[in-house]
Amino acid sequence: MAGALLRIARCYSPLSSPTPRLPPLLRRRASPPLRFLSVSSSSPPPAASAASSDDGRKGEYGRRGWDDHLGMSDDELMGQCDMGTFKASGPGGQHRNKRESAVRLRHRPTGIIAQAVEDRSQHKNRASALSRLRTLIALKVRKPINLEEYTPPVELLQILPLKSTIRGKDVGPQIGPNNSKFAPGMQALLDLLFAVEGSVSEAAKLLGLSTGAVSRLILSDDSLRTAANELRAAKVILVQISDCTCLCSLTRAWHTAQHIQKLKYQASGIPSITYHVTQSLIQSSLCEH
Amino acid sequence: MLASASSAAVASSSFLPRPKPKPHLLKRLASALTPPSPLSPSTGADADADQDPTPLFLRPPAHPVPAPCLAAFRRRAAALVPPSAPHLHRHLRWLLADAAHDPDADPALLRAPLGDLEALWLRHVRDRRPFQYVVGNEHWRDLVVAVREGVLIPRPETEAVVEMVGRVEGFEAGWWADLGTGSGAIAVAVARMLGPEGRVFATDVSEVAIEVARLNVQRYEMQDKVQIRHGSWFEPLEDLKGKLMGVISNPPYIPTDDLPGLQPEVGWHEPKLALDGGKDGLDHLLHLCEGLSSVLKPGGFFVFETNGNKQSEFLVDFLSTKWDSSFHDVEAVLDFADIKRFVTGYRR
Repeated sequence: MAGALLRIARCYSPLSSPTPRLPPLLRRRASPPLRFLSVSSSSPPPAASAASSDDGRKGEYGRRGWDDHLGMSDDELMGQCDMGTFKASGPGGQHRNKRESAVRLRHRPTGIIAQAVEDRSQHKNRASALSRLRTLIALKVRKPINLEEYTPPVELLQILPLKSTIRGKDVGPQIGPNNSKFAPGMQALLDLLFAVEGSVSEAAKLLGLSTGAVSRLILSDDSLRTAANELRAAKVILVQISDCTCLCSLTRAWHTAQHIQKLKYQASGIPSITYHVTQSLIQSSLCEH
Repeated sequence: MLASASSAAVASSSFLPRPKPKPHLLKRLASALTPPSPLSPSTGADADADQDPTPLFLRPPAHPVPAPCLAAFRRRAAALVPPSAPHLHRHLRWLLADAAHDPDADPALLRAPLGDLEALWLRHVRDRRPFQYVVGNEHWRDLVVAVREGVLIPRPETEAVVEMVGRVEGFEAGWWADLGTGSGAIAVAVARMLGPEGRVFATDVSEVAIEVARLNVQRYEMQDKVQIRHGSWFEPLEDLKGKLMGVISNPPYIPTDDLPGLQPEVGWHEPKLALDGGKDGLDHLLHLCEGLSSVLKPGGFFVFETNGNKQSEFLVDFLSTKWDSSFHDVEAVLDFADIKRFVTGYRR
C-alpha cells in the first residue's frame, strides 16, 4: 500500500441519502459533515469485489474492478432495479380506469432512485426513468482512476470536441448532452475531474484540449456543470504515504473506512466506490501526521 | 407549469376581446359542479359532439382557433377540475395535445370545433366519461391504441402479457390467438414482435370491437400478420385446431355482483360485454380453459388475465388437477401491484 495516494476530499456527498449509518464510534462528535474517501489504487479493496458480486455480475461487468452500470443494456440495468408504480389499492385490472403511469426505479447496487411521471404510458415512463437513472449514476457514482496510466475511455472521447488532440479520427462525431450515450462519457469526465481534484486545467491537459474547451464542455449540460462545480468546491487534502507513523494512522483510517463501507453495504447496498468518513476520523489521522 | 401557462394567457388575452362564452355552455358549467350520477345521461348537445366515429386524435386539424380563445378555454376547463382530482389537469393537457395539431400555434388548428371540445371536457369531468373515449385513444406500451365506446380500454396491467409472449421459445414464428381482442391492442403488440411466418388470429364477438381492432391493425400496418375474425372465443378458429403456438386472452372476469360498485368511468361507460364474467367472474375463463387443449399444439403456451389472486389460484388449481394430463408448468403470475393477475402454462 506504500506509495499509494490516499485522497480525502470534502464533498457534498451525493449518496448521502439514505443517510448512511455510522458506527457509534464515529457518531459521537456532533454533526460531522460527510466526507468522501477515495483510494486511487489500481486494484480495488477486497471488500469491493464482495460488493460487486451481489448481482452476480462481477465477472462480466466488474472487469475494471467496478461495476460498469452504464455499460449495461436497458434490460440488464432494469434487472438491477426494483420498480415501483405508485401502487394502486384495490383490485386493479378491468376494475379501474386510471393510468398507473408513474414509474419509480430504485437501483439496488447504488441506492439511486429515478422516477418519471410525465408520460401517458407506463412503457414510456419506464424508459424515461431508466435514462434518468443512467444520468444519475453518471453524476453520482465515482470510480477511482490511476492518473499515471490514464487513457480516456472511448465513451469520454466521444463527448469531446473534435479539436481534442487525443481524439482519434475513428471516434466519430461529437456526442451531445441530448444523446443517450452522453451519460457514460459524462461519468468518465467526472471521474477524471475527481481524480485531478477538480482542476479543469489538469483535466484539459489529459484530454488534449484547452481549459476553455473543457469548461465549455462542462457548461453544455446543467447537471454536469452542477456536479463538476461540487467537485471543484471540494476541499482536497493529499496525503502522501511515506513514513510509518502516517501509514499507521492511515491504515487505521483505511480499516475504519472499510468497516463503514461494509456496514453501509449491508444497510443499503451502496457500493464500495465511495466511503463516507467523518471529519473526526480524518482529523485524527492528520494530527498524527 | 399549468399556472404559468394560464397566467401568460391572461396577460395576452387582456389585449384582445374575450370570446363570448356560449350561453348553453355556461349553463353546463353550473351543472358541472353538481355531483355526477349515472342518472344524468348524456343527452342532446352532449352527444352531438361525438357523432363522428373517427377518434378525435385522428380527425383532420381543420378548425383554426386564435390562441387567446384556446387559452381562455384552457382556463375555463381547468376551473372545472375539482381539487380532489388533480389528475384531471394532466388530462386537460393531454386533451389539448391530442385535439390540436400544435396547441401553442396561433391560430391553433383543432381537430374539432372549440365548442365540441368544451362539451367533450364537460362529459369527462361531469359524466365521468373515460378520458380515453374522449380523445379516442389510450397510450399502451409503445402504442397509441384507438378506442371508442363499445370496446374495453386496454389496461396497464395487460401490458405484461406481451412480455410473457416474448419469453416463449420460438414465439416469433408461431401462430397466436388473441381471444376477445377488443381494441386489438394485444394482437397488434404481439404481431409487431413476430417474424415473417408469425401470425395472430384475433377474435371478438362484438362488431364494434372488430371495427376498432381493424383500425388499429391498419394503423400499425399489421394486416399481413393479424387476421381478425368475428365470433365468440374459439368458434372462428375451427380451421386452426392443434396449430396454435399460443392463446392469449383478457376475457371479462368481474363477478356480476361487483359490477354496480365499479368506478363510474368503468361501470357507466365501458361495455358490460367486456367486463361481466358471470356469477363468480369465471364463466369465460373456464370456457377458455376447456377449449385450450384442442387448439394448442403440443408445447403450446397460454396466458389469461384474471380478476386477481383468488381467481388465479382457483384456475391454477383447476388446471393442474382436472387437466393435469393436458398442461404443465401452470402458474399464477404477479402484476406490477403484486396481485396474481395472470395464469400461464404450457400444453403437454
